Amino acid sequence: MLLSRVADSLYWGARYLERAEDTARIVRSYTELVIDLPTSALSTWEPLLAVAGGSSAVFRAQAEQDEALLPIGEVPIVRHLVADQHNPGSICSSVDAARENLRTTREIIPREAWQTVNDLYLYVGSNAAGGVERRSRARFLGHLIGECQQLDGVMTTVMNRDEAYELWRLGQSIERADMTTRVVGVRAAALLGAGQQHAADGSITDIHDDVQWMGLLRSVSALQMYQRATRGPIDGRAAVRFLLLDPTFPRSVASCATRIREALGRLPRSRRTMPVIDELERVLAVAAAGGEDGASLDAAMEDVQAMLSAINDVVHEAFVHSSM
Amino acid sequence: MTMAHVRADTHTWDELLAPDGTPRPAARALLDQLATLEHSELQERQTLAELDILTMGITFTVYSDGRGIDRAWPFDIIPRVIAASEWRGVEAGLKQRLRAINMFIDDLYHEQRIIADGVFPAELLEHSKNFRHECIGANPVHGVWAHISGSDLVRDADGTMYVLEDNLRVPSGVSYVLENRAISKRVFADLFARQSILPVDSYTDELNRMLVSIAPAGITNPTIAVLTPGIYNSAYFEHSFLAQRLGAVLVEGADMVVGDDECVYMRTIGGLERVHVIYRRIDDEFLDPEVFRPESTLGVPGLMRAWRAGNVAIANAPGAGVADDKVVYAWVPDIIRYYTGEEPLLANVLTYRCHYPDERTYVIDHIDQLVVKPANESGGYGLLIGDRATRSELDAHIALIEADPRNWVAQPILALSTVPTICDGEIEPRHVDLRPFILSGASSYVTAGGLTRVALRKGSLVVNSSQGGGSKDTWIVEAE
Repeated sequence: MLLSRVADSLYWGARYLERAEDTARIVRSYTELVIDLPTSALSTWEPLLAVAGGSSAVFRAQAEQDEALLPIGEVPIVRHLVADQHNPGSICSSVDAARENLRTTREIIPREAWQTVNDLYLYVGSNAAGGVERRSRARFLGHLIGECQQLDGVMTTVMNRDEAYELWRLGQSIERADMTTRVVGVRAAALLGAGQQHAADGSITDIHDDVQWMGLLRSVSALQMYQRATRGPIDGRAAVRFLLLDPTFPRSVASCATRIREALGRLPRSRRTMPVIDELERVLAVAAAGGEDGASLDAAMEDVQAMLSAINDVVHEAFVHSSM
Repeated sequence: MTMAHVRADTHTWDELLAPDGTPRPAARALLDQLATLEHSELQERQTLAELDILTMGITFTVYSDGRGIDRAWPFDIIPRVIAASEWRGVEAGLKQRLRAINMFIDDLYHEQRIIADGVFPAELLEHSKNFRHECIGANPVHGVWAHISGSDLVRDADGTMYVLEDNLRVPSGVSYVLENRAISKRVFADLFARQSILPVDSYTDELNRMLVSIAPAGITNPTIAVLTPGIYNSAYFEHSFLAQRLGAVLVEGADMVVGDDECVYMRTIGGLERVHVIYRRIDDEFLDPEVFRPESTLGVPGLMRAWRAGNVAIANAPGAGVADDKVVYAWVPDIIRYYTGEEPLLANVLTYRCHYPDERTYVIDHIDQLVVKPANESGGYGLLIGDRATRSELDAHIALIEADPRNWVAQPILALSTVPTICDGEIEPRHVDLRPFILSGASSYVTAGGLTRVALRKGSLVVNSSQGGGSKDTWIVEAE
């Protein structure tokens, strides 16, 4: 028995926490990438904004009004993604929103889980500024990711496998799939596009491509697992397939889809909710099969994101709205 | 470190120290232990306890500039100690008191024998803000209306324990009794091993048993819900805590609906599910917009119909607050004698009722020697302590009394007892009160001790957490 209101809070609490953790991974790996590359090879931090999505368009538009601020540098972009309370997608806003949602689920989630969320909130509240400066950034982001993983550990090891747990997993998996498609849609598409450009005009392929692909995989913590699974040098298309389809990698979109399917299957009204997950898997298969060039990959990822958004709507309709 | 120096003022009663600075018998083990600790060790234990409170997220909410702010629960590690032999007397007195009060409420909503017999004045009922005409003739299970109550106790200079007020509407604080104990067990683990301190943890089991006992007829395994006004309420932490310990569903008004069958349902992800018992933590006026405040969104339209039809139990019953009134308080000793035929076991504080011209005149003439209280406010709001007020504050209160006499009572200024307390690193006496919680259903139960609230400001008598009060664990100790 789970109240619709509480189901909504659990779902969003899980989404916001996953968003905070994934954003931290992306910022961390991008920082490492920039440090790795010679300064000439990668001069811009703007791809980070593109990955972060919608809210960042406003930020960019504001920055562009003042030419003195262009190009937007590392510190404003990282601050926007990590510590900006006016950016609803920033790490600190996500953690705030997660805690605000989970505050109303304290009698549902394990006590240690709430304590971890609360610790995380206190930590981010007093240390987010340190996450902006390059010298303390890795420590801040690493700590945050660690706390999120601890929370996941608590949920996995002590929470009843009941409806509340399935709602949690559902929120987490939808958000995780969404973040993976953004990384693929923005960064992988850009890298594939650049590679084709080089091939077309006869110039040599950018020697830093493999470093960039490594950074991309690392941003979803996939590098080591990719290497174990493929046992070969990094190939862009193989990396994209891995991130989208690999059934053994838990952050691949296909793995997330499987967990979404499981969760919906264990929740009420599954006959109503299942068709949309069939549709997601179909769109995903099409996306992975096509996507030979950057632009079509980007478009295909938008299709997958649209399906994830449709699942979000169906979840809301089935579990929150229908009992009103 | 020793405490003897703390016993500076012998005009008040200290809960741990006798007037000569030696430990009271029940507190000896505690004070012996404290004597072995360096000042810095004691401070360290206090700091660790505060850290626990922060990470466990034990909070209460205060309102400032229109928004709620979550504050860490203020806790002092030095407990208040009461001998079990004394406590058994208090417990019996509280059970007697609540039995009589429940009979009084049931009588008021039925025959009103106590008025017919000339014991309770009819005009007081006519002017009562908390008498609910909508409840006349209702028959809650066991004839019990105030299922969960918290009576505030204070000890005067002569050592007498008095009931200061009865909270029969939605008393809060019990979760902090349990949390304070959890922290105190960490701070003084060795003392808990060496002496017999009565446990407090069974409260939520007893609460569960009581709530099951008031379920509608024929329901043996009821679905219980805790009704909260929501996250911005100052006691939300407690609502959530209790729901969790009860295994109950924490609901807001909008989560529930009354069906055509006059039963209460909640909105779940699988559809509507029946609710049998509601432990409500919102005031009467917000329960049902059909009957009370029409603009309230905290309650459930039709809830009163369902309750009157016997399809749902509500604890505390709507209308129970009629006896939670500082004017009715003055009659409680008579109420006890009338319904039980017994003498009251616990003392009531002498109370002047401004409703009566002679008593009002006395209050106005002696206002600088009295505590003046509005009849229907809680949280210490509107309270005036005569010997600490300025002349213009006194005059302002006199004007308030004359404008609405029935709403005011006054009592002699009691010298609230003290307990040594850590204040800015030093140990100083601070005034305390005690709120035990009493459960009344098929049978009754009193917490072992209760919530000791402490006025952290030097000399202050105001213990409310919303006004700078803190808390302590309360130990009921069996003699060796």
